[in-house]
Amino acid sequence: MPSVITANLLRSGAVAYLAADGRWVSTLCDAVVADDAVSFNTLKAAAQAAVESSEITAVYAFDVHVVDHVPQPISVREAIRAATATAA
Amino acid sequence: MYKYDDFDRTFVADRAQQFRDQVGRRLAGDLTEEQFKPLRLQNGLYLQLHAYMLRVAIPYGVLSSRQLRQLALIARKWDRGFGHFTTRQNIQFNWIKLDDAPDILDALASVDMHAIQTSGNCVRNVTADPYAGVANDEIEDPRIWAEVLRQWSTIHPEFTFLPRKFKIAITGAAEDRAAILFHDIGLKLVSGAKGAIGFRVFVGGGQGRTPYIAQELASFIPRNELLSYLEAIMRVYNMHGRRDNIYKARIKILVNALGIDEFRRQVESHWGELDKASINLPVAELSRITAQFSQGPLPKRENSDDAIKARRLRDRNFDRWFRTNVRPHRVTGYSTVNISFKKPGKIPGDATAEQMEVVAELAERFSFEEIRVTYQQNLALPSVAIADLMSVYDGLVVAQLETANTELITDIIACPGLDFCNLANARSIGIAQEIAQLFADPSIAEEIGPLRLNISGCINACGHHHVGNIGILGVDKKGTEHYQITLGGSPKDDAAIGEIVGPSFPAEQVPSAIRAIVATYLSQRISPSETFVVAYGRIGKDPFRSALYDAPKLSHTIDSALEVTHV
Ligand code: SF4
Repeated sequence: MPSVITANLLRSGAVAYLAADGRWVSTLCDAVVADDAVSFNTLKAAAQAAVESSEITAVYAFDVHVVDHVPQPISVREAIRAATATAA
Repeated sequence: MYKYDDFDRTFVADRAQQFRDQVGRRLAGDLTEEQFKPLRLQNGLYLQLHAYMLRVAIPYGVLSSRQLRQLALIARKWDRGFGHFTTRQNIQFNWIKLDDAPDILDALASVDMHAIQTSGNCVRNVTADPYAGVANDEIEDPRIWAEVLRQWSTIHPEFTFLPRKFKIAITGAAEDRAAILFHDIGLKLVSGAKGAIGFRVFVGGGQGRTPYIAQELASFIPRNELLSYLEAIMRVYNMHGRRDNIYKARIKILVNALGIDEFRRQVESHWGELDKASINLPVAELSRITAQFSQGPLPKRENSDDAIKARRLRDRNFDRWFRTNVRPHRVTGYSTVNISFKKPGKIPGDATAEQMEVVAELAERFSFEEIRVTYQQNLALPSVAIADLMSVYDGLVVAQLETANTELITDIIACPGLDFCNLANARSIGIAQEIAQLFADPSIAEEIGPLRLNISGCINACGHHHVGNIGILGVDKKGTEHYQITLGGSPKDDAAIGEIVGPSFPAEQVPSAIRAIVATYLSQRISPSETFVVAYGRIGKDPFRSALYDAPKLSHTIDSALEVTHV
């Protein structure tokens, strides 16, 4: 299953996704998708480095569907995180 | 109200300063998240889905106007303009940045507030009857003892690393409005022989994964021996509570594993060995704290008001609000006003900065600068002169806080659920909004009568769904949000844990399920004075089950519900 690496930015707590250029972005559509073990391990190493440099915290990977090259969350939880709170 | 002395102020300011230093070290990379997490949790700072959440302690739900204004300032300056009142009489800010947390703690300390012990395995904020000190059925003001317990339990070295979190509730009234039977320890002030006042002590209640109603541990502990008795309970728990399994670590599991008699024997044996004199509260200290709560006689005010009578006759909305949200006060000429944060369609318990400021001002002008937070996620003005009720009402209308639904079906208790909470299975807020909209016509809600509806987004039960007359629990069913419905729970003197009525429903079916349940109640009740929970006790769950799970009957029941409710 393709997956995306996510975390919260340490300073703000905001939801962030790892992008292809190694930056942490706020939009899921800009996240890089790992679709095999090799790319996943590379991304995991980049995320670990960001944890150690105190940029992010609470890092983990979650499964996505890729539709027209854009990752779509599968779980409700990740859909809510990607959309920010649905309550208003 | 209790006023901090120099000791309290220095302590809280020092803690804020310590936390500033800890945050600085975390941001500089000198502390890892693993090292920092317990430090931030000790100061009420959680990391939730979208941001940090700061839970601020409101001891026994008592706030001054000045403090509420400061909470409004925090909401505006460091959050998104609102805060969320919780079922532990606290407030949470959902959109906090770690950078800002030290400034927020300073802002809190400047008005004698903090976030200490709002998280972690310690004694949490002691909750109390929201009408403490003003209720007309009270033996003694429980705020005095809640304050004593606050001071006793704050960074008590023995209780800093308990097996699990620990919650105490206290009431001094005949009616239990503090859900004391669903706390680790529930305390009720009672009269004993020769006019002595003491505590009836209950232990081992709780909700969560394994709900239990507390059992009586002692029928009468003299007031002056309370602290040593509680210390004995805590010792037994600290020694024997299970630390190997988080799901079995609460005192309720220990009490039920040992049995109440054996638990009592152990508590009494420890109590006998304690140096009670060194633990019990010195009389002078009790007098000092008691004096802070004595308000002196309230100014004399008229008990009835012709202008109010006339307004009730011509203004149906005011009349309804007067009936549902205003309650008697111990002093003639005064009343207590419930302020609903449950306007149908809004998020239960959310308050905007502007609303907080309006309430702070109304309290300043009409309620001796005091506000109460209720565990139903509302506010109350404890002492409003009857003659001032119209001014208060008109002030509330401006802030859209005049919803007349205290203890009615739209006064829904709901946790933040999957919209904010990291532990959630399902959303609570959207479901609460939809259900409230169904019964938004206040005459329908009033016709239905007293009905507690509670929603939790997971089995941790922060929305107290186990004790809702109708309880809704969010569950994860193969990755989709489903909701399990329980019926017949009650947090009051008729304490009961709700029974699961049948298989769970997907989110979109929950409102019609609730409508069918209400319709069944309306069609079955003997008279309007037979409340939902009483009717449920009489007829049991079968009629509700068949209304919910027998499809043709379901639509029929809904139609008749609307007929009945539109009478
Ligand atoms: S009940 Fe569950 S979802 Fe709701 S606030 Fe508590 S932990 Fe979160």
